[in-house]
Amino acid sequence: MSAGTTAVQQRLQEIWETPKTVHGWFATVDHKEIGKRYLATAFIFLIVGGIEALIMRIQLARSDQSWLTPEAYNQLFTMHGMTMIFWYAAPILSGFANYLIPLMIGARDMAFPRLNAFSYWTFVLSGILLYISAFMGQSPHGGWFAYAPYTSLRYSPGFGMDFYALALIFLTISTTVGAINFIVSIFRLRAPGMTISRMPLFLYSTLTISFAILMSLPALTVDCVFLELDRRWGTHFFDSRLGGEPLLWQQLFWFFGHPWVYVVFLPATGMASMIIPVFSRRPIVGYPYVAISTVLTGVVGFGVWLHHMFAVGMSDMAMSFFSAGSMTISIFSAVQVFCWIATIWKGRPVPSAAMHFAMGFLALLVIGGLNGIFTAIIPVDWQVHDTYFVVAHLHYVLIGANVFPVFAAFHYWLPKMTGRMLNERLGKWSFWVMFVGFNLAFFPMHLAGLGGMPRRIYTYPAGLGMDGLNMTATVGAFIFGTGILLSIINFSRSFRVGEIAGKNPWNADSLEWETDSPPAPYATVHIPTVVSRHPLWDDHDEEDDPNNERIFDEGRETLSTTWLDAEPQSIMKMPEDTISPLLVALTLMLLFLALIFQWMWVALAGVVGTLFAGYYWLWPTPQEEPQEKLEVELV
Amino acid sequence: MTTATLVPVRRIPVPLETERGTFAMRLVILTESFLFISLFASYFMLEGNKERWRIEELPKLNFAIPMLVVLLVSSLVLHWGELQVKKQRYTAGRIALALTILIGLGFLTLQAFEYRSHWENLTPYTDSYGSIFYTITTFHAAHLIAGLLILAYVLALPRYAPSPVSPYRPFHVAAMYWHFVDVIWIFVVAVLYIGPHL
Repeated sequence: MSAGTTAVQQRLQEIWETPKTVHGWFATVDHKEIGKRYLATAFIFLIVGGIEALIMRIQLARSDQSWLTPEAYNQLFTMHGMTMIFWYAAPILSGFANYLIPLMIGARDMAFPRLNAFSYWTFVLSGILLYISAFMGQSPHGGWFAYAPYTSLRYSPGFGMDFYALALIFLTISTTVGAINFIVSIFRLRAPGMTISRMPLFLYSTLTISFAILMSLPALTVDCVFLELDRRWGTHFFDSRLGGEPLLWQQLFWFFGHPWVYVVFLPATGMASMIIPVFSRRPIVGYPYVAISTVLTGVVGFGVWLHHMFAVGMSDMAMSFFSAGSMTISIFSAVQVFCWIATIWKGRPVPSAAMHFAMGFLALLVIGGLNGIFTAIIPVDWQVHDTYFVVAHLHYVLIGANVFPVFAAFHYWLPKMTGRMLNERLGKWSFWVMFVGFNLAFFPMHLAGLGGMPRRIYTYPAGLGMDGLNMTATVGAFIFGTGILLSIINFSRSFRVGEIAGKNPWNADSLEWETDSPPAPYATVHIPTVVSRHPLWDDHDEEDDPNNERIFDEGRETLSTTWLDAEPQSIMKMPEDTISPLLVALTLMLLFLALIFQWMWVALAGVVGTLFAGYYWLWPTPQEEPQEKLEVELV
Repeated sequence: MTTATLVPVRRIPVPLETERGTFAMRLVILTESFLFISLFASYFMLEGNKERWRIEELPKLNFAIPMLVVLLVSSLVLHWGELQVKKQRYTAGRIALALTILIGLGFLTLQAFEYRSHWENLTPYTDSYGSIFYTITTFHAAHLIAGLLILAYVLALPRYAPSPVSPYRPFHVAAMYWHFVDVIWIFVVAVLYIGPHL
């Protein structure tokens, strides 16, 4: 039998492997390859955004410094915000989701592998498009939420805000198709037996945010279209002299913006819900409550956007409603936090490096949640609006609830991706340096904000009592950066000298640990079946398949199941490697670049090119009719 | 062991999957609906500044209603075509598809005339009303053109017979998008054209 298995493995390998050629590199549709690229690219954006932050902290370290001009400082904080929020925080989670979700549900790839490649190429090309502006010295300078009318051509000449609008529209394409791909994959490709109530919690969070993306991103697209039309095409959406409404920008932006906060937050909680139980050596406490509160956070997340705008002057009724909505969210977060704490409490915690990061996440999330309640209370919000208190709050939430879980996830899942273990000692050092540095950098900002220091100022006079706080924050920021550097050293060291990880180094429960480390291109020889929430912790053999019913070695195929009960339903054919997604992404890049500079003939060429590339992508390739094959020889 | 053993494979008795395109198109329609919801919401918000609009006359219905009828007819024709394709009458399906494309082009021609009749009093540069009016209708037209391109692709597909390569699903998926674009026009007529008269 083992010889037979090897023959099957070889055949599957030939079917699913991408040749290691230049063409293969650009043409691959393998979710594992795309996931790794997502992670690497988003990590580079994290480093770039981090360097921008450190430059700002140097400027603010002492009072009355002027080695950055106000304009340079404005561009820096805008690029920092955009890079971190749009090109790091969400894509890094897409990277993990891309890599892990097919493995977690026992599928051989995502439902639309070519669309997946397209989503990656548009992500990286939109980031490049944004950073062209930095090389021109004309980056966006209106903050990441770019309030009109400051962003109109009159007050923001140059191409900066055009880069803002069009790079974001370009990115929304990537994010939208990615979300569609995740939803269809999760609903249609789960292993037989993985009913909706047995899904790993990470899938609940990814599903929730994918729907949130589909419903909220169009508002950003419309907003950016309005902005670009106002700037370059003579319309008057935000021009109050001719009936325009500057507040329209804020309404649309925050209708998108607040769900987006959950887009960068919920998958991180999903990862924590995977990691914490494994290192507590027990199933998570209150699985249904965690799942339901994840979904409800996404739903109620659509009813809180006005809390970003308490200071613009609205009716008390509207504000009270949104204030209440914002406080409701904290109930769902609290449910999750208590479930995690109970899991640790009832379990036997293992203090691994990943667990350190997960615990750090818990602590920072609680602080970030509590100061979030401050800002949800209208009078307090008026007091601290646009001060460093808000900066402290959003960094506690975004770093605490995105960067820390992401690092936990790296320490947990990198052995699966590379096949080699990280150094636990160095990982813990990295955690403590990051944790101390982070709190040193951002806790003083609460005090600075309460003391009245506004955000987004390039310098401040001496003698206001802000010098000490700012110097502490700068020192903390550099310590935090050092902690990240330690992790980078740890990662790159492990690629070469890490211990061999083996299939399941953490003795974890979910299906991705059933595959080899790193997984074969086809994942598992037999599509697994599942009978409980914790497939690898029960007695059921996932790959038990006496009649070889679930091998699918006649081409790229995987098993599709019903969405609720995961009964086998149909066999999904998967596409071969192709460069057409890259071609469409490149022609789109040409289109958006041309639109920024209004080279309309080039833009037309971009549209026509996109069209032809799209038809080339979709055109059916001639295939043989499937032969009904009943028996195969296994030697 | 050199004796070959015969092992049955792919016994799991299920058909080939054909539904993922339909599912994805439903999600596309979901996200596109929110695009138009955002646009209509913007219209209602800008309406708050009505007193600053320089409207000389309300939008005329003499083009909008015929355009609505044209689109509804196109949807009916396309749906009839889809029923034919399901019954494996592929030529009839192709003819219906070609007819739909022609009717769609007719809609765009009508819209060009409609724009010309409005243009003397109202341009996108006049005020925020002109901006949102032309933006919503042009967004719809752009979606309609996208729909035409998708239908043209399906028309050009080599064959419609059920097969793992091209079952009738592309027809169905393209038709879903076309019906969606038609439904959006109903809302455009209700909000932009009839609304101000009420």
